[in-house]
Amino acid sequence: MKINLLKISGLSAAIILLNGPAFSMNSAREGADGFLKTNKLWQQVQSQNVITGTVVDETNQPVPGVGVVNSNSGKGTVTDANGKFSIVANATDVLRFSYVGYQSQSITVGTQQQISIKLKVATDTKLNEVVVVGYGTQKRGEITSAVSTVKSEDFNQGGSRSPLDLIQGKVAGLSITRTGGNNPNSSAAVQLRGIVSITGSATPLIVIDGIPGGNLDLLQQDDIESFDVLKDGSAAAIYGTRANAGVILITTKKGKGGDPTYDYNTYFSRDYVAKKPDFLTAEEFIARSPSNNLGANTDMYDLLLNKENITQYHNFAATGGTPKSNYRASLFYNDLQGISKENGRKNYGARLNLNQKGLKDRLSMQTNLAANFNNANLLGGSDGDFEQSVQRNPTAPVYNPDGSFTQTTAFNNYNPLARITQELNRRDQQTFSGDTKLTLEVIDGLKISAFGALIRDTYNDRSYRDRASYSSTQTYQGTGYASKANRQDKTYTFESTIDYNKVFNNDHSISAVVGYSYQYFTREDFNLNNSGFITDAFEDWNIGAGNAITNVTLPRPGIGSFKEDNTLISLLGRVNYAYQGKYLLSVSARREGSSRFGANNKWGTFPAASVGWVITKESFMEQFKWVNNLKIRAGYGVTGNQGIPNYQSLITLSTGGPYLQDGKWVQTYGPSRNPNPDLRWEKKKEFNVGLEFGFLNNRLGGSIDYYTRKTTDLLLSYNAQVPAFVNSTIYTNVGSISNKGLEIAINAIPVQTKDFQWSTDVLFSTNKNNLSSLSNDVFKATFLEYGGLPSPGNLGNTIRAVEGQPLGNFYGRRFAGIDASGKWQFYKKDGSITNSAGINNEDLTVIGNGIPKYYASMSNTFKYKNLDLTIFFRGKFGYDILNVQDMFFGNIAWLPNNVLRSAIEKNAALKDSPQFSDYYLESGNFVKLDNITLGYNFKLKTSYIRNLRLYASGRNIATFTNYSGLDPELQDTGLTVGIDNRGFYPRTKTFTLGLQVGF
Amino acid sequence: MKKFILYTSLLGVITLGSCTKLDENVYNSIIATNFYNNRTEVMAAVLRPFTHASAWVSFMDNNNYWRLNELTADQVAWPQKGRHGYDGAQWIRLHNHEWTVTDNTIKGPWDLIWQGIGFCNNTIQDLEKVDFVKIGMTADEKTSIIAETKVLRAWHYLKLIDIYGNIPIVTTVGTPLNPPTKTRKEVFDFIEKEIKDNVELLKPLSANLVGRVSKAAGYAMLSELYLNAEVWTGTPRWDDCIAASDKIIGGQVGGLNGNADLDPDIYAPFGVANDKSKENLFQIAYDFKAADWRLGFEGLFWHYNQKQINGTDRNGNNAVVVVPSAFDAYKDTDLRKQKWFLIGPQYKYGSTTDPVLGTEEYNNKPLVFVKEIRRNSEGETGEGGMTRGEENSGARFNKYQVGLPTDASYWANDFVLYRITEAYYNKAEALMRKNGNVATQEVVDLINKCIVRRFSAADYAVNRYTIATLTPDEFLAERGREFVFEGKRREDMVRFGKFTTNTWWDHKPTTATKALFPIPSSQIAINPGIKQNPGY
Repeated sequence: MKINLLKISGLSAAIILLNGPAFSMNSAREGADGFLKTNKLWQQVQSQNVITGTVVDETNQPVPGVGVVNSNSGKGTVTDANGKFSIVANATDVLRFSYVGYQSQSITVGTQQQISIKLKVATDTKLNEVVVVGYGTQKRGEITSAVSTVKSEDFNQGGSRSPLDLIQGKVAGLSITRTGGNNPNSSAAVQLRGIVSITGSATPLIVIDGIPGGNLDLLQQDDIESFDVLKDGSAAAIYGTRANAGVILITTKKGKGGDPTYDYNTYFSRDYVAKKPDFLTAEEFIARSPSNNLGANTDMYDLLLNKENITQYHNFAATGGTPKSNYRASLFYNDLQGISKENGRKNYGARLNLNQKGLKDRLSMQTNLAANFNNANLLGGSDGDFEQSVQRNPTAPVYNPDGSFTQTTAFNNYNPLARITQELNRRDQQTFSGDTKLTLEVIDGLKISAFGALIRDTYNDRSYRDRASYSSTQTYQGTGYASKANRQDKTYTFESTIDYNKVFNNDHSISAVVGYSYQYFTREDFNLNNSGFITDAFEDWNIGAGNAITNVTLPRPGIGSFKEDNTLISLLGRVNYAYQGKYLLSVSARREGSSRFGANNKWGTFPAASVGWVITKESFMEQFKWVNNLKIRAGYGVTGNQGIPNYQSLITLSTGGPYLQDGKWVQTYGPSRNPNPDLRWEKKKEFNVGLEFGFLNNRLGGSIDYYTRKTTDLLLSYNAQVPAFVNSTIYTNVGSISNKGLEIAINAIPVQTKDFQWSTDVLFSTNKNNLSSLSNDVFKATFLEYGGLPSPGNLGNTIRAVEGQPLGNFYGRRFAGIDASGKWQFYKKDGSITNSAGINNEDLTVIGNGIPKYYASMSNTFKYKNLDLTIFFRGKFGYDILNVQDMFFGNIAWLPNNVLRSAIEKNAALKDSPQFSDYYLESGNFVKLDNITLGYNFKLKTSYIRNLRLYASGRNIATFTNYSGLDPELQDTGLTVGIDNRGFYPRTKTFTLGLQVGF
Repeated sequence: MKKFILYTSLLGVITLGSCTKLDENVYNSIIATNFYNNRTEVMAAVLRPFTHASAWVSFMDNNNYWRLNELTADQVAWPQKGRHGYDGAQWIRLHNHEWTVTDNTIKGPWDLIWQGIGFCNNTIQDLEKVDFVKIGMTADEKTSIIAETKVLRAWHYLKLIDIYGNIPIVTTVGTPLNPPTKTRKEVFDFIEKEIKDNVELLKPLSANLVGRVSKAAGYAMLSELYLNAEVWTGTPRWDDCIAASDKIIGGQVGGLNGNADLDPDIYAPFGVANDKSKENLFQIAYDFKAADWRLGFEGLFWHYNQKQINGTDRNGNNAVVVVPSAFDAYKDTDLRKQKWFLIGPQYKYGSTTDPVLGTEEYNNKPLVFVKEIRRNSEGETGEGGMTRGEENSGARFNKYQVGLPTDASYWANDFVLYRITEAYYNKAEALMRKNGNVATQEVVDLINKCIVRRFSAADYAVNRYTIATLTPDEFLAERGREFVFEGKRREDMVRFGKFTTNTWWDHKPTTATKALFPIPSSQIAINPGIKQNPGY
């Protein structure tokens, strides 16, 4: 039973009661026969007495709200305002007293009728929490680097599209953004402590139960025990060349000995559009563009929505066994439906955990098997469909009189409802993961382990476009189009480790680990497509029937296959040393080789060291009773990034198109890249200093971290000297990026009474980045550009990264006004005003930045008796948004397409084609009321139900912002940031009803 | 015993961990050292620069040589058309001669042409190491293949010397790291030597050498080189130009269909069967049906609804159109004006009454191409301008016609690099310059022999040139009319001294240094050996 006591409400008894039987390990004492057991209980009840007593604190003041539970019967109560309680118990029963901030105590009743308990302040409740640190665990109190933990009870409630949604806003410095809204087939963009790479991997390494690179699809929210985020270099360095962007360790729930129990969790939810784009109605459109009146009145946006969407989730778990041999098995099914039609995902699968100890407790084995089957409908919910729905002529009918779909004629138009009706696009995916770890305790304190894992992820994609579909009639002469694609990824992992733990002379505690790690990854792809079908009957199931194979007037059928592999090998080691639990030291190193690097640089070494000083363990702190915990820690670590494409260091020849060779057309071959035998990993050096504190019986606690990190040897396709290189770029290590930042996490229990508790968690983080360098002696990139604006107009890139400046800068024109004839006016460099044609490159400048400077979140939980209420706010501050929708849709020149209301109101004076300038930049600051959850824990008399919780939850309930567009929360990770594109997936509010029951 | 178990276990862990191999297994591409095992593989490398040239010299959708030589000159432009075609003003800057050292229009051709030279250098370097006899080829083939690749490489330099002028000379891959700039004279001498040393090792052009470098291509390159010698080196080489042109005109270089000769058909040198036109000397070969490889110019020239007009299966991006003054430079009786452009009301393919409709300013209204580039829909009058276009502005490209998707020869057009008419014009121009910029009867005869094809018999009688009418200005105008869209206009205007001094349509004269483009800043930044051209 893992309970973070800081989170326990005043009604801790209720929780204890709910969890009570889980720690009833004395299963041997329990009869197997249910009838006998009931009988026995009955007899016990007959002989029980009412025990009364008082609970006081260290100053002999009575303590109200202390949980008192009879461990044997499972019944419980709480102390009243005078610290008094009464409970039914017999002589052999054990009473357990618990209260937040104090050590729990257990007392066997014996002959006592009156029991007095004096609570002792718990200095170590949170400090004894187990933290997973990679190749081992540590107690929270002994951690010397920046590691954040989120346990299951703190997860965001109310349904999630991906496991990382559970901790959105829960870890300072970890940015998780759902750029695709609540689309079931999109994933979250994740970034830790700013941008660490331009072309390499920039998202944290995911490690699931020790498997580096674990697959998130295999995780259901109720199977997850905790997330541990290794934030700084000293914590992450044990993961070597994959640790630059941080590491997220995910631990799943495991089997426990004890009475077999079942848990069933379910929820149902529905998404509602949060904000509808304000485009003109048919009447308003006709008034502006009478010649384009096609006679109907259509709201295409509305027609694309699946308003009846229902998402359901079911997870059924069973655990049981003995302390030496136990299991946990869970089965799940969920059906995730998006706000768009033809947009959903059904998952089902299972997870199994087996644990056994044998050979006189010397040999233990742990096995996990997990499988997920995913059927996804990828057709609907595309950004382009919703772009069309906004700009579609509202007077255009959906159907022609003959029943076919109406296609509007303006540039790049298509009927999105026709597309999702006349096409199909589905994925059938299976993901499997299996791992086993054998651990042998050779002598006391010395363990050797072998760990093996296999992850296999395969999918079959299929698509078909009806003969009558727009795509088919435009490109395939109305003969339909079918395609199929397969992918198979496999990851093999083997790791062996030796662990040594020993305490010398009571003062010197050492724990050490050394290990070897091998990982081999392969990917195989296959795809084909064809057209030329005389019927839609086959869809893609008879792809050879398409006569584009022989009919050369049709586009050629496509066929392709691909394979790649790579290997990672490493040796690793770490030593933790503590003197009297007061002075802490951790030193680690990983030597790692990757097949991806150049012949001259296959191997790298990644060392780290960190120290901690637990000030509260010093004798001079004893006088400050209100200080429960005070620790200073500092760490330095070197990590790497091998997250780049394979084969970048080799000279390979690739195809260059066919040419006539002796009268026949034969493929040509030429060098496909400039070889770089010196290619190596990106390297990050990070220094982190942190302070952890707990005051007032730990009712106020938290941590502050400051870090400074610099990625050097930044990989990029730099301009190469042409001549004499063949290709104009070379992938090589040149530049550097610096990040520094501050993270603050505070948790507090401002109010605590017998029946009511208010607890609050506040997170704040800020990050400042700088592209320190883009050049060395040989190579130089003048600048990098991102965020190209789309056709029509192709107005160019909007974001420019320049050496010595922050990333994410918008770079463009400065708006000076709109002249009398409605034309743009801009400032030139010298401050004078000119028209569009008068602007040169030197007049362009930095006009904004799309990366939020500050992130903050606040979670408040109120508990009253059995009722709990969580209100969660999240915000991002200090950044700009380029409102591309306003730029194009909000311009009357967008006619004959439909326009937004801003075209006739805010931007009415404008009579010119779109131009990119700071006119379209807006402040993105926002606060979201991101989650409200109201829950009730039923107290049931029956002994069949262990716990029962019902909750209702709302996500993304309100957004407080001055931003005029749909939603200010946009891509804030990577280099293309803060751009609100024309195409989008509707953002939604989600309402959930959920039930959790244990029996 | 415990220690024994301990040490055995530790040994076990370390033994298990002894695998430290980090081989890269390549599956879907070829490692260079495993190539050149037979004739097909050798030729696959030899022909790589040809398919690459498609990207940098033709109408293909790249920032390339063609765009620099045409969009900066007085015949075609890529104006903004309402909300389309602004494209960061890069096409407007080309028209106004305001390009910058960071523009992709400047960087693109540099990178692409040097990549082509890299492919040639790589082939020459690799093949010199290959034992041809061992792989079933002959030493003669080796000589011929390497000669062809060297002349092909010289042609790349010929295009670089035209647009960038002062450039490095590099014949190896990867070294030197920072090749220094050579003078235009040195580059000229290198090109001349490379072609002269190898041109006689090349085969005469024949039907099975379509798209390859033959004697015909070699002498056409020499003709162009010598014609421009005065601009590029300060020393005229008119006689050498005449001699090289005479090799072609005199039937000494072979041909695709008998000896090379003027093709009387106005479309044939550019049509789907232009691999058989006796007019053509050197081209990039394409065949859509046979090889899924075509000269994809629809994006550059065609309207959004073009397939309705010509019955094909592709639409365009409505990009490049004809400058009004260039369209007006043709007489109405000129067959080239009638045949090589689209103008006026457009009807669906096969119909003369069912109009093609517009999608922008003329959404759902009949599409009528007009020669003006201005906001007619807003009642604008006058000359218009680069930002004043509409979806129907400007006469349209129709010189290359691609046929119908159901034709076996659909879109098989090769991109013509040199045709024999150019040898006639080059020789005529060289003779005229030798004669103090005054035409002679021989000059007049050479040009008249070409333009007799461009008029009806009756119209030719009034349009044929005389010594008096064929002035230098008229010669440049006529050269433009004949070679419109062929990627040669800027080079010709520079040679006549008009590129930076003339005014046309929306363009005003600029400074003399604009006759050369700048070296892109991406190279200036990293190669200390390279020097920027004057004026940038």
